[in-house]
Amino acid sequence: MARVKKSTSIAIVAVLAAAVIVGGLAKMSSSGSAKGGTITYLTHSEAFTHADPNRNYTGQHIAWFGSFMHRTLTAYARAEGSAGSAVVADLATDTGRSSNGNKTWEFTLRDGVTFEDGSAITCEDIKYGVSRTFATDVITDGPTYAIGMLDIPSAADGSSVYKGPYATKDNDTAAYDKAVTCSEDNKTITFNLKRAVGDFNYTTTYLSFGPVPKAKDTGDAYDMAPVSSGPYKIEKYKAKDEMILVRNDKWNKSSDPIRNAFPDRIVVRFGLAEEVRDQLVLSDSDKNSMSLDAILPTNLPTVFDDAGKPKDAFATRAINVYDPYVTYSAVNVKKLPCLDIRKAIYYARDYAGLMQISGGAAFGGDPADGVIKPLMGLDYAKVTGLEEFKPEGNAAAAKKYMDAAKSACPDVYAKATDPKRGVSFDFADTDTNKKAAAIWIDSMKKNAGITMKFNFIESGSYYAVVLDQTKQGDLSRAGWAPDWANASTVIPELFTETGGFPMSQNWNDPAYKAFKAKSDAALAEPDRTKQGKMWAELNQYAMDQMWVIPGVFSKTQEVWGSGLGGVYFWEPQGAPSFGDIYIK
Amino acid sequence: MAKTVIAYVSRRLTVSLLILFAASFAVYVIFAFLPFDPAALTCGKNCNDPGIIEANRHRLGYDLPFFTQYFLFLKGLFFGRSFGEGAALINCPAPALGYSFQEHGCVTTLIGEALPVTFSLAIGAIVMWLALGIGLGILAARFRGRIVDRLSTIFVLIGTSLPTFLTGLLLVVFVVIRWRLIPFPSGNYTSFFENPFEWAQILLLPWLTLAFAYAALYTRFVRSSVIDTSNEDYIRTARAKGLSEGVILGKHTLRAALAPIATMAGLDFAGLLGGAILTESVFNLPGLGRLAISAVTKYDLPIIVATTLLAAFIVVIMNLIVDILYAYIDPRVRVS
Repeated sequence: MARVKKSTSIAIVAVLAAAVIVGGLAKMSSSGSAKGGTITYLTHSEAFTHADPNRNYTGQHIAWFGSFMHRTLTAYARAEGSAGSAVVADLATDTGRSSNGNKTWEFTLRDGVTFEDGSAITCEDIKYGVSRTFATDVITDGPTYAIGMLDIPSAADGSSVYKGPYATKDNDTAAYDKAVTCSEDNKTITFNLKRAVGDFNYTTTYLSFGPVPKAKDTGDAYDMAPVSSGPYKIEKYKAKDEMILVRNDKWNKSSDPIRNAFPDRIVVRFGLAEEVRDQLVLSDSDKNSMSLDAILPTNLPTVFDDAGKPKDAFATRAINVYDPYVTYSAVNVKKLPCLDIRKAIYYARDYAGLMQISGGAAFGGDPADGVIKPLMGLDYAKVTGLEEFKPEGNAAAAKKYMDAAKSACPDVYAKATDPKRGVSFDFADTDTNKKAAAIWIDSMKKNAGITMKFNFIESGSYYAVVLDQTKQGDLSRAGWAPDWANASTVIPELFTETGGFPMSQNWNDPAYKAFKAKSDAALAEPDRTKQGKMWAELNQYAMDQMWVIPGVFSKTQEVWGSGLGGVYFWEPQGAPSFGDIYIK
Repeated sequence: MAKTVIAYVSRRLTVSLLILFAASFAVYVIFAFLPFDPAALTCGKNCNDPGIIEANRHRLGYDLPFFTQYFLFLKGLFFGRSFGEGAALINCPAPALGYSFQEHGCVTTLIGEALPVTFSLAIGAIVMWLALGIGLGILAARFRGRIVDRLSTIFVLIGTSLPTFLTGLLLVVFVVIRWRLIPFPSGNYTSFFENPFEWAQILLLPWLTLAFAYAALYTRFVRSSVIDTSNEDYIRTARAKGLSEGVILGKHTLRAALAPIATMAGLDFAGLLGGAILTESVFNLPGLGRLAISAVTKYDLPIIVATTLLAAFIVVIMNLIVDILYAYIDPRVRVS
């Protein structure tokens, strides 16, 4: 079952959106929500990975900044359960109007929408904001859908002929001006796409389709001082210290039907030691606080029973739910160009041990067999060929593949088994990950004779580091959720060179060429059922090559102070409902 | 006398400047020849495209010859530097130590924000540990073998055994969270000039954590030093002349016994200014230590270079101050 149906009927979406909003408002009015106060969020990270709307690309950060500061053309409904996956109009008056066989999309801006300085948000501001996506040398790490979808020619090297708003040489600005146009009254923006995209209005939920005032753009430094178009603006933002958001008095509720803006101030405390962060929330010492991170597994029994249900004391302030993520260890195929070694790693891993330190299956989730979650319905099919998997590790299978590797790829075998070199593994620097590293080291050595070397990276900058192929190790821990309910936002994103999260570097694999051709064909396939089958086959293909070591179809736990209300799990972003949280 | 002191200070200043210049060159060489491509550290996941790396290399001047780059680095210290073009132009005023693409700021600005935090931590901690360490050391020596001495031995054992991160964590979890004796600070750091009370409240536990560890070492050191000095002939002579124990201790024993403490405290203070990494991490203080360690984990080369240089600068300056103080205290140093 797909959580979000491919949008071909604007009317259906609009009706659903209206129903969700009305339902949501009814729920809010009856739940005793109130305005005022300060909500404090606690995190071990030293800063948000990015605050620039063009660079936000994790569900939590999109949920956070999308709720408080950055508006875009469309957004997901603020609602619990699958209703939250409906697209609603945000800055636009509706969820977009398509024509030309879904190759042209138009959005008209609402009246009265402004930036934090009171200046009106115009079509040109949206157009400028989208243009920044193309400045890939400065605006890094964000989604690149605009580059892949807009009808702009490619240069000989495959890159876009348009290089973004900062480049002064060899930059085909005219091509961009043709692909994105503004009406005479500067209220309607038109996107001309290179291929039909029936669910383009899901793409525009990304903050990179929001406005940026050209006069205030400072390139890389905009990441620390972005201009708000939402209900709050930054009063202070300092990495390793804190972020303080205060009300944006230029924001007008009448032009923003989806945001609530309950608290007066929002504070984020960065860099807290993990145990301190957990204890502050568990002891309820600040009733109006919430952790932005996963709770330490050692603290899970304080909150939940063995079945994963919140204990009485936490019944109203904790949840344990399946999130949209699949976790995995991306294999850097360039550095580990040996399928047998990759399979040996998969079979040698002590999955049960890793689950144990994550709190067990009740908290960690179920073993993944690929990167597409069963919840994706049409796009999922059970992956075959992994039948030798044993939770505690299968030493015999691992040995079989290591023996094969000895003759098939002796160089990689020598490196993997050399105690001085070994296989390097990138992990975010957290206490739980350090314990996980110990289990990896032990099970790899015991079951496959492989030496593991760990590289712990500060958690706030983890992805910025490992997504840089010059810094990435042999393996890197990762998690991915579909950007919307179509594996077009999973397979090409993870496994093609131009994807948004290509950590496997699998274009170095001889098997990549056939994969890429099929992925392109799936993207162009108009029949959703056929397309789903193709995604499932591509998922199987990626697992046959073991481009990732699949982890879990994961669950997540959230705990918050007793003074907070309106907390629920916002499915499409895989994050708490930040925008609906209020002080009781 | 005055001429001798001026000549000595001038000589030490010249040597210090030369050391700093050599340190800057050595650090820059390391920066230039590390097995990392600095251009490839500026574009995150977009660095998958070699064209982008090359564009950034040119934009940031990493394609220039090594000595030109070093000259521009030195020039930036005095005249500032610019990176990029158009709306993405970045201006870092003098003294410019580079731009961090991980922290999205000029390195000098980042250090300027972190240094007062570390200085506040170090200055409070040194006052506490000197007071506690010297006081307890003197008492332990004065009452050698008695209960005070035994208690000080226990204190020394615990203080030297407990790592600062554990002491810090225990203080936060119990004193702040469980027992709520001190409220959890409303911020990670507040400037002394903004709110002295909140400044002290935030730093109290970090000071205690550091003071606990250092005071233990100083207690042991001062105790030994005072006992050694007490056995000197001139102390026996003083006692034979009928001076009171208080006068002997205050005027003769301590002056000699505590002289080496100046060197020790100076270097420890310099070390702390370079960054008390663990204490800053446990207490969430946005100081130099955390800036440096975070830069190392993120391969943030401009910050690594700058913090290394700053640490060298602080050590050189503190050594200079200690040497000058010694010259003031002991004329033999001036002559040598």
